[in-house]
Amino acid sequence: MNFLKKDTNENKSQAELLYAAQQKKKFVFRRNVLLAWMGLLVFLIFLFSGIEIKSSDNVTGISAWHYETVTENNIDVRKRVEQVLVAIPGGLPNEGVSLKTISVDSEFIQANIDFVAEGIVETIKISALSIILAILLALLAALGRLSTNPVIYALSTFYVSIIRGTPLYLQIFFFFLALPQLNIVLTGLWAGVLALGLNYGAYMSETFRAGISSVSKGQREAATALGMTSAQTMRRIVLPQALRFAIPPMGNDFISMTKDSALVSATGFVHEIMWRATRVGRAEFRNMEALVMAAIFYWIMTLILTSIQSRVETRLAKGDR
Amino acid sequence: MAPIVQVTNLDKYFGHLHVLKDISVDVQPREVVCLIGRSGSGKSTLLRCINFLEDPSHGSIEVDGLKVESSGKGKEHRQLIHDLRLRTGMVFQEFNLFPHMTVLENVIEGPVIVKGMNRKQAIELAEENLESVGMSFKKDEYPLRLSGGQKQRVAIARALTMQPRVMLFDEPTSALDPELIGEVLNVMKKVAKDGMTMLVVTHEMGFAREVADRVIVMSEGQLIEDSKPDDLFKSPKDPRTKALIDRYRTGEQ
Repeated sequence: MNFLKKDTNENKSQAELLYAAQQKKKFVFRRNVLLAWMGLLVFLIFLFSGIEIKSSDNVTGISAWHYETVTENNIDVRKRVEQVLVAIPGGLPNEGVSLKTISVDSEFIQANIDFVAEGIVETIKISALSIILAILLALLAALGRLSTNPVIYALSTFYVSIIRGTPLYLQIFFFFLALPQLNIVLTGLWAGVLALGLNYGAYMSETFRAGISSVSKGQREAATALGMTSAQTMRRIVLPQALRFAIPPMGNDFISMTKDSALVSATGFVHEIMWRATRVGRAEFRNMEALVMAAIFYWIMTLILTSIQSRVETRLAKGDR
Repeated sequence: MAPIVQVTNLDKYFGHLHVLKDISVDVQPREVVCLIGRSGSGKSTLLRCINFLEDPSHGSIEVDGLKVESSGKGKEHRQLIHDLRLRTGMVFQEFNLFPHMTVLENVIEGPVIVKGMNRKQAIELAEENLESVGMSFKKDEYPLRLSGGQKQRVAIARALTMQPRVMLFDEPTSALDPELIGEVLNVMKKVAKDGMTMLVVTHEMGFAREVADRVIVMSEGQLIEDSKPDDLFKSPKDPRTKALIDRYRTGEQ
């Protein structure tokens, strides 16, 4: 068998062997990165596990503590309960060595995780609505930037300049708090969507403009020579190619938008992840637990979106079209 | 017979640069005319003025009875240009196939979108033309998967499917690897044989000699010679033509 195996190996060309070696190297690297990631994740969990390593009475061990609600004199009181998990007989030589990692109130998390998780739907809703608005605005602004009409060009650059020159936070408050003075009252959700959409539209217009410019002059000429009008050329020939070019950066923008949607919580009327986390966190002074929960939700959402994006990107690259 | 293409007193300026100087040319139906000349002589610009890809500065273009003045303006003028473009098919040096469409989609795009032809009819016509350029076996491929010669043959089929009266070729083989030039020239010969009126800007002297009915030589924005290929290649009248032909001869060796 061994002999046969060697034989097939020799039948392979040098290029194939080199390629296989390269693939193996890549695979090993990726596997090790994954292991390191898992290691870091375990460390992070350990960091928030509330485990204590201490030495006292010649007993060194790892103990954990958590809160428990006990009734004392008919009042519910939360008490820290310690528990020794592992004890190392003999202990460490020096007395008073104690290492404690951050402990989180697991009972609080259990009680509030559903409440915070309900915000995911709202976060996705804001992000999706905003990205639709942003794409429309970006497209208009990009076409304006490429227009030979000075008024349209000015309009487009003016919009982009104002939006990029002011903070997103301010824009959200402007739509929510300033517009009512003009008798335009927007709900928190719509103020947020409008602000996020306008903001990202301004930034994305640059991506779209680059995409449109990336389509060669020859493409337009070929369409013109066929007798297409400029509108037909734009719709049938230029935009489909420009969008393909713009999809990867648009993915990035969508990911940042899901995170920036947290700013909308400042209006106090949009019950997305961040709003819910700060609300429960402040109420029971368990801000760390609440924010860690929110962070995990955002992180998972981002991871999912990133993997979708990279899948779309590989497909675009494969199709070469 | 009335000429099918009539270029009258055409001038073209790029800024201060006078690239076409008072050019008048007639082309008869079914005639194959090759335009030759050094780069920068204005031959491509002349071709591109005929379908208004470049706006001429002065003069007029008439194709198949439709006359468009360079001085025209407004909506009517745009409509005239549009109609003029429907009478001409153009093949570019860089092929300019639409990369996001398959070969077949490329070919039916014009008839369906511009002429409003129904899709089924357009596909029939497109398949016929793809067959005649020998590309129907790749009709569902994307342009990226084709060689340069194949792309250019598809581009020719795309232009033919618009059923133009005149075909304009702008250096159709200049971007091709030498071994791919033949297949494109063969397709062009076939198109000529089928009776299409053709204006060809080219550096392929062999093609000009074999296929063209007339060869026009341009230099510095002017027509310096216009004669049958045999006369032109054997006994050029203008010394600049002689120099040009000699240059190609040495290049071919």
